[in-house]
Amino acid sequence: MSIAQGGRPRTAETRQRESPPTKARAVPWISTGLVVLLLGLVLLSLLIGTGSSSVGSAWDFLTGDTAARADAQIRLAVMDVRLPRTLAAVLVGTCLGAAGCLLQAATRNPLAETGLLGVNSGAAFAVVLGLTFFGADSPGEVLVWALTGGMAASAVVLLFAASGRTAGSPLRLVLAGSALSATFHGCTSYVLLGTQSTFDTYRYWTIGSLAGVEVSDLVPLLPLVAIGLLTALGCARPLSALALGDDGARSLGHHPGRIRLVVAGAVSLLAGCAVAVAGPIAFLGLLAPYAARALTGPRMTAQLVLSALIAANIMILADILARIVIRPWETPVSVLLAFVGGPLLVWIARSSRLSTAGAEA
Amino acid sequence: MTDATPSESTRPPGGTLRTGGPGTAPPGAPGGPAPAPVDAGAAPARTPDVTPPDSTVLRTGTFSWLLPRRSALAALLVVPLITVLVALAVMASSTGMSLSETVSGLLGTGDPGTVMIVRDFRLPRIFVGLLVGAGLGIAGCLTQTLAGNRLATPDLVGVNDGATAAVVAAAAGSTTGMVGDWWLGPIGAVVAAAIVVLCAGGAGTAGYRILVAGIGVSTFIGAVGDLIMSRENDNTAGGVFLWAIGSLNGRDWGVGTPLALVLLVLVPFALAVGHRLQLLRFDDDVAASLGVDLRRLRAGALVLAVALAGTAVGVGGPIAFVALAAPILAQRLAGPTRVPVIGSALTGAALIAAADALGRVAAPVELPVGVVTSVLGGPFLLWVLLRPDRDTGKA
Repeated sequence: MSIAQGGRPRTAETRQRESPPTKARAVPWISTGLVVLLLGLVLLSLLIGTGSSSVGSAWDFLTGDTAARADAQIRLAVMDVRLPRTLAAVLVGTCLGAAGCLLQAATRNPLAETGLLGVNSGAAFAVVLGLTFFGADSPGEVLVWALTGGMAASAVVLLFAASGRTAGSPLRLVLAGSALSATFHGCTSYVLLGTQSTFDTYRYWTIGSLAGVEVSDLVPLLPLVAIGLLTALGCARPLSALALGDDGARSLGHHPGRIRLVVAGAVSLLAGCAVAVAGPIAFLGLLAPYAARALTGPRMTAQLVLSALIAANIMILADILARIVIRPWETPVSVLLAFVGGPLLVWIARSSRLSTAGAEA
Repeated sequence: MTDATPSESTRPPGGTLRTGGPGTAPPGAPGGPAPAPVDAGAAPARTPDVTPPDSTVLRTGTFSWLLPRRSALAALLVVPLITVLVALAVMASSTGMSLSETVSGLLGTGDPGTVMIVRDFRLPRIFVGLLVGAGLGIAGCLTQTLAGNRLATPDLVGVNDGATAAVVAAAAGSTTGMVGDWWLGPIGAVVAAAIVVLCAGGAGTAGYRILVAGIGVSTFIGAVGDLIMSRENDNTAGGVFLWAIGSLNGRDWGVGTPLALVLLVLVPFALAVGHRLQLLRFDDDVAASLGVDLRRLRAGALVLAVALAGTAVGVGGPIAFVALAAPILAQRLAGPTRVPVIGSALTGAALIAAADALGRVAAPVELPVGVVTSVLGGPFLLWVLLRPDRDTGKA
């Protein structure tokens, strides 16, 4: 299942694969830079948007100018519209970045993205069911449906992957995920074919957007995200051992199958939250770990942290652009992610570090 | 096709080939003999004979051919299966047609209405379905082998997104909002794949870079399609949605004939390429020493895969799952040492024929073939794959 072609020794690339010490030393600097960038983007995200509130007045509001504080319109724009979106973007980005990184390491497949465990297709199916048969119409209700569906679908995949003689093998995990994804996708299509009204709502849900997110929707997700992230950090060392292969990991006292299932559970939590908030935008979960690997080399903890930071940055940037590209309308955020991320992925692939980024998975 | 991770025991021991290298290949045997399966559970017999254990050498004079016994047997089993499927598919309808009526329609002895339904609607549709399935199967087989990755289907190289974007753009540009001519899809697919290859810096590099560039480019192109769609009215969106699920509804000889001609040209090339691709199981150096021009081989295989998948997708829409499942099933049938080009074509054709027929009878409304392949393909593939395999000892 691995992309590293069946264990061909690649002499030229093995030389590059040993991450030079300079790379390892650079990680703290890169992380610091990314955190600073993220804070800058958060500020930008609070200042920029549609509506009549100018950047200047939003700045006055943030710096505590009394006149601006008293203006209800500015308060609405900054606190009720932009702040939730900003928080949601950071949350979704962090989730997708960490989840993608975990999944790629656990399946040893650098092309794995977070939709692989059935989270996205399960969420989509649940959303369609909710819209069609249960009259869900507010963004908050859709979020609950998506979260429930994503979790349920990935639970089925995990149960499947955890059973049988080869419990926890990467092949079993990936195949169970893609097969069940296909099934849910087909069911979604079938329901949609019969219902025009659902189809319209679903069309806009599926291209992803952070518009209309409320802080009250985000708060219940925080414990889930925290569990997912803590599990992720706890799994960093065992996952590094998995890179040695299952036999190597066993000889170090790890249980590869068990690790994979735990990690997959964490991935489901994180990806499920991301889908619930922003719709199925799985591409970010593939791109961010990729970029992180190109920057850090094989060290798992560094990869995780950087991947989450990179994804948060890209997500918030995409959301800012979504508000201003075709004002006063919203651009679908998945479209902007693709416009920003597609070329970035190609550029990383073309850089000489690709072998490192790919073969390390 | 290595489906193992580098760490597991399926790595062919490079350099310890039992064969004496290309010098001892039987004259005319293409590409030298294939090695014995190296997996646990199939211990190679230590004989000086270099014939692979799953093949029989056929000789006439100076010509010889390695007949892969198991693949041939598998193909012989699948062909009757397809015949049965086609027969059932001709009968399958939402109107309920008896066997005798169907036969009379086929022979042209029934009443004109029945004859028209069977000969002008159903037969061409089944024919197109078989060809689409074969094209998808072969394309999937080539890409999976190139990348050494089970998930590497042609849609990773932008084929589906390119075709869909072309169709979307045409539908959005037309006044009627109808899905346009059948050749739009293939053109979009080929253009997208060409962009991917340019971005990856040529097809001759490791198959890996192509895939990554493919994901980037196809995401980008898919987003363009999404953007166009999000500005469209609901009628256009609905029409394109049906196409994007994958449907054979209303496909007739006007589409089938060009499709058949394209396959007729491409399949022989695919067979030749598939044969050489068997050597990719070794590392590049061994393959090169066996006389394979890797760059040209990879480029050729990729071009073929794109052309085949692009044509199939353009005609039938991006039907889910067939390009992924057909090669895996064929590999199961043919054993681990083969690149099952014909097997993939046959299994792909069988899958689509069965799915389309099922879609016509399963529900009160006709289900598009893409819905059926998605819903049933998943569990079916799991059932096949996760039984322990005698050959590899792995599930």
